Amino acid sequence: MPAGRAAVVFTAAAALLSNSAIAAETPDELVARGRAVLEAAGGCTCHTDFDDDGPPLAGGRPLSTPFGVYYSTNITPDPETGIGRWSDADFARAMREGRAPDGSAYFPVFPYTSFTGMSDEDLRALKAYLFSLAPVRRENRPHDVWPPFSWRLSARIWQWLHFEPARFSPDPSQTAAWNRGAYLVHAVAHCGECHTPRTLTGAIDRSRWLAGASDGPEGELAPNITPHETTGIGRWTATDLVWYLQMGFDPDGDDAQGLMRETIEHGFQHVPRTDLEAIATYLATVPPIENRLLDHADHADHADPEP
Amino acid sequence: MAVRLVDRPLGLLALVVFASVAALPARAQSPAASDEGTIRYRQKLMSGVGADMGAIGDILKYGLPLQSHIATYATLLSQRSELVAAAFERDVSAGPTDAKPEIWQEPEAFREKTQAMKDEADKLAAIAAGGDAAAIGQQVKALGDACGSCHDSFRKPKEESYKRAGAGS
Repeated sequence: MPAGRAAVVFTAAAALLSNSAIAAETPDELVARGRAVLEAAGGCTCHTDFDDDGPPLAGGRPLSTPFGVYYSTNITPDPETGIGRWSDADFARAMREGRAPDGSAYFPVFPYTSFTGMSDEDLRALKAYLFSLAPVRRENRPHDVWPPFSWRLSARIWQWLHFEPARFSPDPSQTAAWNRGAYLVHAVAHCGECHTPRTLTGAIDRSRWLAGASDGPEGELAPNITPHETTGIGRWTATDLVWYLQMGFDPDGDDAQGLMRETIEHGFQHVPRTDLEAIATYLATVPPIENRLLDHADHADHADPEP
Repeated sequence: MAVRLVDRPLGLLALVVFASVAALPARAQSPAASDEGTIRYRQKLMSGVGADMGAIGDILKYGLPLQSHIATYATLLSQRSELVAAAFERDVSAGPTDAKPEIWQEPEAFREKTQAMKDEADKLAAIAAGGDAAAIGQQVKALGDACGSCHDSFRKPKEESYKRAGAGS
């Protein structure tokens, strides 16, 4: 057998082996891995109505956007009101193509625009974890959005304009850690959904990737997390970022608030350190973009120092 | 000009009297000067709280051999919590401040939050003296939660300071 072909066979065998290693995982291991995926996604807290003490992941949380108020959906495995009847394929299609099992298009308030990059294995595990939870019976609430944004067809048109399903593809010129970080930031942790400004039609402005937004979901300001020295997080060390995602404290000792605090509490603080370091590795290489949203120390005389 | 005024003491006196009288209605109309001072002082105080928390963070996240400092910062934070309670007694909610009016609408709830800061800081001081790194980390988080819980109710969110500062200045 020629050496080249032998190498191919060897690589294929290795790939098979690693796949079978995953296939060999017990249901409990699959569920545990799924829980880790959910945590790396920030805990999917949009699906929990904290203000009304709603049951975890049973939806009904109002999400205000410039287009109106959307209500998150029940993603517990209740067969009537949740996703209990969904097949693996239904779940993958919702997450990666933004389509409901009946084929209708989801509004991009559901960040399938990021989840489209997720791997088969992560999706399978995430679904297994969600299906391991106690089903909660809680009807989904209709969105309170102005026409034409309220029409399902407009979601389809939006997808046609702005959305192309695409799996994350690693950059072979980068390290494994960088690629892991890029995968997490782009796909699972869906950082860009809040931290990237949007265009008038609500599409993520990829030319200003992670440059922050003053009017993110729920009207919250999402800071610039590009490595820009004075308006982004260019002065943070990787250690600062890991600490922030574990403890909820920035280098100035200020605490994370709002949605970020939720995602840390229910998600990122549980993410393995190596993954958080990978996120820091990737973020340090994103193009720095000047976009001042917070008053940093050098501008502290105008606003409160608690930014 | 200055030399000529000094040459004419009466003229200088007249100018001073005029200036004082002219300043009177302005001061009566806007108590801005002291409000501004109150806001600026509160901001310095809160910056100090942040600096202490940041310093504790650096010691822990970089594993600096200065763990003994943490108890000192915790004691400082406990004392600062009393300063915070006192500094926010006077109702100054207009102007360039992130203090929410709720501080003065629900003074008891606010007082509970500053007390929680004190309690958690005191606990940290006690735990830090013991030196168990995991326990210290946990208590730092508990103290941080006390910060966050107060900020949740009584500090304006970042988007409000952004709008006040005039969009991306």
